[in-house]
Amino acid sequence: MTEPPIVAQHLTKTFGDDLGISDVNLVVEPGEVFGFLGPNGAGKSTTIRCLLGLYRPSRGQARVLGQDPAAGPAAFLADVGYLPGELRLPERLTGAEVLATFRRMRRGHPTAYEDGLVERFGAELGRPVSSLSKGNKQKLGLVLAFMHRPRLLVLDEPTSGLDPLLQDEFASLLRETVADGRTVLLSSHDLDEVQRVVQRVAIIRSGRIVIDDTVAALRASAPRTVELTFDHDVDPRPLASVPGVTLHVTTARHVTLTHTGAAAPVLTAIAPLRPDTITARPADLEELFLRLYGGTAHAS
Amino acid sequence: MPLDLVRLDLRLRRRMLIGTAVGAAAYLFLVVAVYPTFQHDTAFDDMIAANPAAAAAFGITGSITSPEGWLSANMYANFGPLLALMLTIGYGSAAIAGQDGEGLLGLLATLPVPRARIVAAKALTLLVAALVVPVVSYAVCLAGPHFELNPRWGPLLGVSVALTLLAFDLGAIALLVGAISGSRGAALGAASAIAASAYLISSLSPVVDAVHRVRWLSPFLWAVGDGQLTRGVTVAQLGALAGLGAVLVAATVLAFRRFDIQ
Repeated sequence: MTEPPIVAQHLTKTFGDDLGISDVNLVVEPGEVFGFLGPNGAGKSTTIRCLLGLYRPSRGQARVLGQDPAAGPAAFLADVGYLPGELRLPERLTGAEVLATFRRMRRGHPTAYEDGLVERFGAELGRPVSSLSKGNKQKLGLVLAFMHRPRLLVLDEPTSGLDPLLQDEFASLLRETVADGRTVLLSSHDLDEVQRVVQRVAIIRSGRIVIDDTVAALRASAPRTVELTFDHDVDPRPLASVPGVTLHVTTARHVTLTHTGAAAPVLTAIAPLRPDTITARPADLEELFLRLYGGTAHAS
Repeated sequence: MPLDLVRLDLRLRRRMLIGTAVGAAAYLFLVVAVYPTFQHDTAFDDMIAANPAAAAAFGITGSITSPEGWLSANMYANFGPLLALMLTIGYGSAAIAGQDGEGLLGLLATLPVPRARIVAAKALTLLVAALVVPVVSYAVCLAGPHFELNPRWGPLLGVSVALTLLAFDLGAIALLVGAISGSRGAALGAASAIAASAYLISSLSPVVDAVHRVRWLSPFLWAVGDGQLTRGVTVAQLGALAGLGAVLVAATVLAFRRFDIQ
């Protein structure tokens, strides 16, 4: 049986008295886009650095492409493409020189695939990195991560600085990548970015994994929002007693609630109140995020 | 693969290296060109004989009007090491700690290159930086005979090698401190402080007894502070300089293996 590209067991990293991450357990299966979500400072980048051997874990261990990243030999990195969250490229080199330098260091050669990536993202190759905008640097970073067709891509906030059209292009590239049997760990604090492309997601908060599930399962368990308006005054308190229901906005003629689980008990409780209109929104991970992030879905 | 890292780091510091080489060459050419004006002026030697302590503070001992004394007093005992150390300590502090702070090291360290080889590439780049001033200086000195300056070429070559090793060693201290602390400022500060102390020990040892007793601690003395332009550099001195460099690089490998890269 093939070993998953990423396995982390009780991965813990402390910085003096500060806890970076604690007991992080992750398994990323081959050929999937795995979403790694969390607000800024939650521990996403620390986890990634441990997985790539940049940090030595304080406790626990990881295996990436069958190797322990902390063990020393860097052979597994030949099959990894990495885009850091805060990309820094040699400022004095042009885009073309950056690609050539990293290609040589990977013992690679110019390929049609690399040319295709440059064209696809419209990467600027003729100008020095120092003169490029954040978005244009990010395009170069994406080409660097993908150009050697690695088996595993570790992408930290990959669409930062990209316009919506390029974000769509990036999503297409991810789909092609996993269709090719390769694996992607996509870290982000942006739920919209993640839920468009990932199959499974782990959510990290304060250095600990709080959710690790498929997007479909999360959607099934995510709260659904129901908005009710009335042409007469009502007392909504009986609705709050239905298991899984939380009342949010309530006035005498306007009630907003979220519920998890089956719809029938909620509808049964609503019916006697004789609402004028009922608006139900589909399950949204945003609601789940709001709960997990403690009030901010895009914590920054 | 490390050669690509060497090429990248040299490219990133190209202007600094070329600028220093041109500056050192222009300065030393002037020193060489004016030698005929001073070679018979005994007043200089009298002045140094009358103020040995002040002269020692500038690394000047013995006759200043001999070819070796002239080159030592104006280049090899003070200005030359200063320029060479500026390059190597600057690079040593930037190579690991500086690039880590800038975020570039993280991208390089996720290439399939073991950390020991990254340090090897940094050390090789450091050696190239250390060679710049001694090589350019030796080349300019070759013009000396046109200006009645005929130093002993063997000892001058030995001092050039020793100066290269001295600059390498102090740059390697910056590299090591950077790999331990992750701080470019700490690396720059520590290496500069050690260089200044070593220079003072070497230059003041002829005139201060207390300093004389610990002069063997100073790598400056091993390289340029013991009349090497006249008597030549000993194998023991070159060995000590090379050995110190090797120990510092080995310690950097150990420190860098434990280093958390941003």
